[in-house]
Amino acid sequence: MLEIKDLKKAYGGDHPVLRGVDLSVRSGQIVGLLGSNGAGKTTLISIVAGLRSADGGSVRVADIDALRDRRGAARHIGLAPQELGIYPTVTVLDNLEFFARLAGLSGGAVRRRSLEVAAALGLGESLKKKAGELSGGQKRRLHTGLAVLHKPDLMFLDEPTVGADVQSRTGILDIVRSLAAEGAAVVYTTHYLTELEQLDADIAVLYEGRVAVHGSLAEVVGRYATASVALRFDGPPPALPGWRANESTLVPIEPPSDPAAAAAGALATLGDSIHSLAGVELVRPSLETAYLAITGRALTLEDDHDVVA
Amino acid sequence: MMSSRSLAIARSGTRLLLVDPAPFVLTILMPLLLTAFLLPATKAQLTQSGYSGATGSEQLIPGLSVLFALLGTALVGTLFFREHAWGTWDRLRASSASTLDIVLGKVAPLYAVQLLQMGVLFLAGALLFGYRPNGSVIALIVVIAVFVAMVVSYGVMLVAVFATMDQALVIGNLGGMLMGGIGGALAPASALPGWLQAVAHISPAYWALDALHKITLDHAGLADVAPSLLVMAAFTLGFAIVAGLRFRPSDAKVGTT
Repeated sequence: MLEIKDLKKAYGGDHPVLRGVDLSVRSGQIVGLLGSNGAGKTTLISIVAGLRSADGGSVRVADIDALRDRRGAARHIGLAPQELGIYPTVTVLDNLEFFARLAGLSGGAVRRRSLEVAAALGLGESLKKKAGELSGGQKRRLHTGLAVLHKPDLMFLDEPTVGADVQSRTGILDIVRSLAAEGAAVVYTTHYLTELEQLDADIAVLYEGRVAVHGSLAEVVGRYATASVALRFDGPPPALPGWRANESTLVPIEPPSDPAAAAAGALATLGDSIHSLAGVELVRPSLETAYLAITGRALTLEDDHDVVA
Repeated sequence: MMSSRSLAIARSGTRLLLVDPAPFVLTILMPLLLTAFLLPATKAQLTQSGYSGATGSEQLIPGLSVLFALLGTALVGTLFFREHAWGTWDRLRASSASTLDIVLGKVAPLYAVQLLQMGVLFLAGALLFGYRPNGSVIALIVVIAVFVAMVVSYGVMLVAVFATMDQALVIGNLGGMLMGGIGGALAPASALPGWLQAVAHISPAYWALDALHKITLDHAGLADVAPSLLVMAAFTLGFAIVAGLRFRPSDAKVGTT
């Protein structure tokens, strides 16, 4: 459904953001696109959605050259951008019906599909409410819903759950699952890595302008994530060679090959400090530790915007 | 012929305009109020100019309609810039609508609203202040239709040229007032100082007012105002060309909600 090859983009001519991105997403697949601040996630999505031009490479959406035929490709794409995009002064139903018509729906299908999407996102009771009067989570759900009205073949959800409450987050994840189940290819960016685990998404990590890693969640975690151990103390932890302090916790500087043995060794050298030990915690391999191993840094909430020169 | 995408955008734009009709209502009420205040003085001025039996509305209704339509270009800016403030501009661009679809869809309801505003003003002028053109009513309608197209084109040009809504509003209002003043919206161009009369022709409003004046007081028909119509069409085209050259859909614009 989406085939990106050697995609390049630089801002101001000398600030390369994408240095040759290769990425393919097939129908029914959910791909979690990860990357830190300035990695180019939003730039990549914007290019595929026709909002920005590319400097080189190719993008095919449903076998359409999206860089040459933006409008043709757009018929297959649903985009929920990072920034909220709704008309606050008109009702929820007005918003849904407008974007349904804009996406090419007509006649009774406009109302029918609008009501379907509203119900799926838990907005059925708020149809006559002005969009500006919705709660933050409801606005986020509406924002996402506006992108799925035409049942797109390729869906981009850029940070769809930022600022969403638990109910909204669950609703959005359900929509993503059902879109994929109906055959849509979904590209999903988030800083909440547990969401990708819940979606059992495939993972693509954008790092230094390229897709550094692309594989199933199990493959990525299995290959890059490591188990570790953490010693928790009441108060400041003692200094221990090979371990670093993180507030009241000690963690190994290098990921241990045998976390239990590493913990036992550390406990044996604690001396009197063992009395302030509050607990020993086994850190299981996860997408978060895999991401850390791939990029050398954790994904934080500050990493929510591309740097655009 | 508008595409279905343009029609959808136009329909939505109409709804957005109707949600908050205050600016539209203001551009109707303000000129009517001013007409009531200025009527005696303008009547005397027209009588002095040889139009015995004039009520004053012959100058005020066309003049203030043109002036407030020009000031109404702010509405054009509002509809475009708010899309940026609301985050909906990129959604429009990411749809399968072309840039032309989007622009046409945005300006169509504005054109209709401006047309309605002028229509209501002329009608109210007839009912309340005795405005009676002695020339062709068809010509009057054509002049208004072409003038409104020029005003909308001017508004789109402001949107294309300026990065923020405030800039577009300030320049739009200032430009509108200047064009209207020089063009004879507040007093007949013939009553302006000599140096202003010399530059009046550069104002698009002059050509609209000249045509309206002839239709209202000098028994003019369509053929008589054809030169003014052509000049207005040229201005419309000129504004549209500048807008087309400067309009970049990907430009970041700063609007307010």
